[in-house]
Amino acid sequence: MSGSKASPVDTEIDEETNEETFTGKGLDRVEDHRILTGRAEYIHDITPEDCLEMGLLRTTHAHAEIVEVDAVAAEEHPDCDLVLTGEDIAEHYNPMPCGLPGISEWSLAKDRVHFVGEPVALVVASDRYVVEDLIDLIDVEYDTLEAVSDPLVARTDDTVLHEELGTNVPDDDEFVFGDVSDAFDEADNVIENQYSWGRISGVPLETAGVVASYDAETDTFDIDCNIQLHTLVDDTVYETLGYDADDVALNVPPDVGGSFGTKIALHRYCALAAMASHQLDGQPVKYVEDRIENLQGGDMHSSDREYLVRIAYDDDGTIRGLDINFVDDYGAYPRYPVNQVLKPLSVLTNAYDVDAVRYSYELVLTNKTSQTAYRGFGVDPHLYALESVVDEAAYDLSMDPYDFRWGNLIQPEQMPYKLPSKNIYDSGDFPEAQARIKELVEEERTEGGLLDPEIVEQRRENGKYRGVSYTVHIEPGVSGADWTDRQRSDRDALDDRDRADVDELPEHLRCEVGDDGTVTVYLATDSSGQGHQTIAKQLLADELGILPSEIEVEYLDSVEAPTEYGSAASRMAVMLSGAAQGLGETLADNLELLAADHWNVETSAVAYQDGAVEMIDGNDRLTRSELAEIDANFGDRLAQASYNYQHPATDVAAFDEAFVRKYPVYPTAAFAANAPIVEVDIETGEVEILKLYSLRDCGTQLNPTIVEGQAQGGLAQGIGAALLEEFPYDESGQPQAVTLFDYLLPSTKNIPEMQIEHSETPSPFTETGAKGTGEGGMIDGPASIATAINRALEPMDVVVDRIPATPNRIRDYVRDE
Amino acid sequence: MYISMSINNSDANRDRPTQEVSLAVNDEEVTADIEPRLKLSDFLRNDVDLNSVRIGCEHGVCGACTISVDGDLVKSCMMYAVQTDGSEIETVEGLSDDGSLDPVQEAFHEEHALQCGFCTSGFIMSTRALLQDNPDPSREEITEQLSSNICRCTGYQNIYEAVETAAEKMEND
Repeated sequence: MSGSKASPVDTEIDEETNEETFTGKGLDRVEDHRILTGRAEYIHDITPEDCLEMGLLRTTHAHAEIVEVDAVAAEEHPDCDLVLTGEDIAEHYNPMPCGLPGISEWSLAKDRVHFVGEPVALVVASDRYVVEDLIDLIDVEYDTLEAVSDPLVARTDDTVLHEELGTNVPDDDEFVFGDVSDAFDEADNVIENQYSWGRISGVPLETAGVVASYDAETDTFDIDCNIQLHTLVDDTVYETLGYDADDVALNVPPDVGGSFGTKIALHRYCALAAMASHQLDGQPVKYVEDRIENLQGGDMHSSDREYLVRIAYDDDGTIRGLDINFVDDYGAYPRYPVNQVLKPLSVLTNAYDVDAVRYSYELVLTNKTSQTAYRGFGVDPHLYALESVVDEAAYDLSMDPYDFRWGNLIQPEQMPYKLPSKNIYDSGDFPEAQARIKELVEEERTEGGLLDPEIVEQRRENGKYRGVSYTVHIEPGVSGADWTDRQRSDRDALDDRDRADVDELPEHLRCEVGDDGTVTVYLATDSSGQGHQTIAKQLLADELGILPSEIEVEYLDSVEAPTEYGSAASRMAVMLSGAAQGLGETLADNLELLAADHWNVETSAVAYQDGAVEMIDGNDRLTRSELAEIDANFGDRLAQASYNYQHPATDVAAFDEAFVRKYPVYPTAAFAANAPIVEVDIETGEVEILKLYSLRDCGTQLNPTIVEGQAQGGLAQGIGAALLEEFPYDESGQPQAVTLFDYLLPSTKNIPEMQIEHSETPSPFTETGAKGTGEGGMIDGPASIATAINRALEPMDVVVDRIPATPNRIRDYVRDE
Repeated sequence: MYISMSINNSDANRDRPTQEVSLAVNDEEVTADIEPRLKLSDFLRNDVDLNSVRIGCEHGVCGACTISVDGDLVKSCMMYAVQTDGSEIETVEGLSDDGSLDPVQEAFHEEHALQCGFCTSGFIMSTRALLQDNPDPSREEITEQLSSNICRCTGYQNIYEAVETAAEKMEND
């Protein structure tokens, strides 16, 4: 199993070779044409006949009692179709499910508001401009309360957000793996440091949108929306409405303008638009979030952590133990992604071989907009804090951090490698990756290179400090589903669980053969730009021995599709691979049955081959369109198939321990070695990344073009997190970044040239050898950039322990020295 | 050739003042009676049905709504529709009418310069404007021109490649 070996990959497509298979090639994306010609239909573009527009009145207070909502003037206005307040909602519907028990969140605030931007009332009219006018006519009287915006203050519970919880720390846990006390007692050295990870998010260019229609005849809802994981989180919508799953169909358009995890939490908008349509006897109601709503009250901020990390290490540079503690500021409500605090357990020691680790967290509530998921799902800050403290241990020993890291890496012969936290790395040669990235950068040290010692010295004399660091990072892929409700489970009872109690979610695919022979495949997951239609075509074309152009890809809504996890946690390459393989085999079997029945022979006398079924003796052949026609007159419907691919870790007994104890299960370990070359201007505090080297390995690449795009885009988001992006709040809970002038997204001016190299170490656990790769650059970019900044500033003895490393902050550090 | 298209959304405008505008959108004559406060981006999307005009921020940062007005590159969320009376407007829909791709669109496809695609219309309009003025731009010139457009998915590497590929295609045409 440990025999998988990295091989360099040529990402160029050879147009000349007439290859028979499509998977593994840079097949052009089928999504592009409609987008490039302006014909793609995003949720913002969907406006049914007679559709009304909804808008939301949002509070400007961080924490206040609602004394009275006076909406008479709005309601009496001739252009007004509907006004609903929190009281109205509570009369007819349910609170929204939260990520932890014991707390209710109403889709419109009732009694009290808890963060700036929280919706207090909804207004419906025929025109959005008019809706905004009507919102201005609503008068809300508040009694303001003390707000708390610093999570370290909030955890003292002097000001409690939710009286029913009685605390601002609704969840915390501690995990001790191995003999941590011994490790820290016996090690030659122990250091401790604090690191801050600023509040960030994915900020996709497309904001949230919903078009909801209630059907009074059937008492059901149709909701078009750009929610992510629509088959998994549909409960947050139908439970809020007080309906059954089958009565509320969430339908996500094929084109969604980015999500990066953030759009899993759109249930407030879905539910409110549905309620409005319900109250208006089924007239469709549309809501499009504007950017300011999105940034301040869109329920879409993500990880915001304060770390306290200890590391125990010997004088020879061996890491003996780690002690990682953090506070994560979840904002006003603990929403679904509460398990973002747990995912780092899946890469607990990153690429290092360390047995003794303590890991603890406190999930803290403050008067800020609530957290959602974001690419990396909490692993990004973990790797940042871990690599930062590793750097400091190396400095403490006066060791080159490259050598310090080198001595602690997990060795290829240890693969598959079980972490102290029971997840398993499937394959990879981390030392080779670290050596290779250094080798690539060495050229920059020659004459005229970015790190030519003479140039480095000259620049430093002008106050411009250059540095590079070499770090290896693991990207955990293909999350299991069973562990994700750990925090809602009885944790004391977890010790009594056995393997039979584990309930995983399979990946569902189905397909049917049309009259013209076209195979239409239906995905049960939504997409937001990752190219799933292209990947599904490639995989299924190979399975069926037909051309990608003979396959159409469509999507199932939440009622048609079974509950499944969906496109998150770097899952789709692996889950789609397995599902497409099973689906192809099932369809081939069905078509053989159909043909055998038609010819009145045994199935052993026929064979599916390249899209058709033949008699083995060569006497007859039925094409797909002929089979579809025969099937139309046949009772069993065999010109179609469906398949549920079981999660790959369920087949590997070594994962049982993690499964049973509900520790995060991520059976693929994609990995990357990064080397950003940075230059810090100590006068202005500006950091420029001069060039970014990265070696990346996600196992077998299904489509190298798409893999490369994911790598580049992920790294760009990592650069944003490291240098630019943050949602700061002042002490009174007022948000300081409510426009894109304040929340700075990377532009062409911030993104350097990236030199990315790929290797392929196939996963022994997956059908195609693919590993998940949707999150990589965002997971590993910030840690590698932060450590490179510290290398650059090493001559000044400056350590930057807070990101984003904005010019102001860098100036503060330099001034303090 | 002008095809006339008349828009009257008076139902939505009851009791509020409106103004008549007449302009050419992708070589089609459009006359409309609209409220002065109507943003150009909303007018093009909702009244002229040009969905390629994407709305990402409505405060002039993201560039997803970038179009051409009388040959100038404009963020259409930053203009009122009434300001374009008598103007000629071009959007992505006007680049081809038979579903074929122009060289810039082709290059974005070939170089995988789009993922979710929400920013793509704006980038195409900006790239066309750049290459019209400067058929062989340097990397620095591309950086400067495209810094007005935000892409959250691609990390820009392939967008540079696409601009350069488009320049080559246009030179060879």
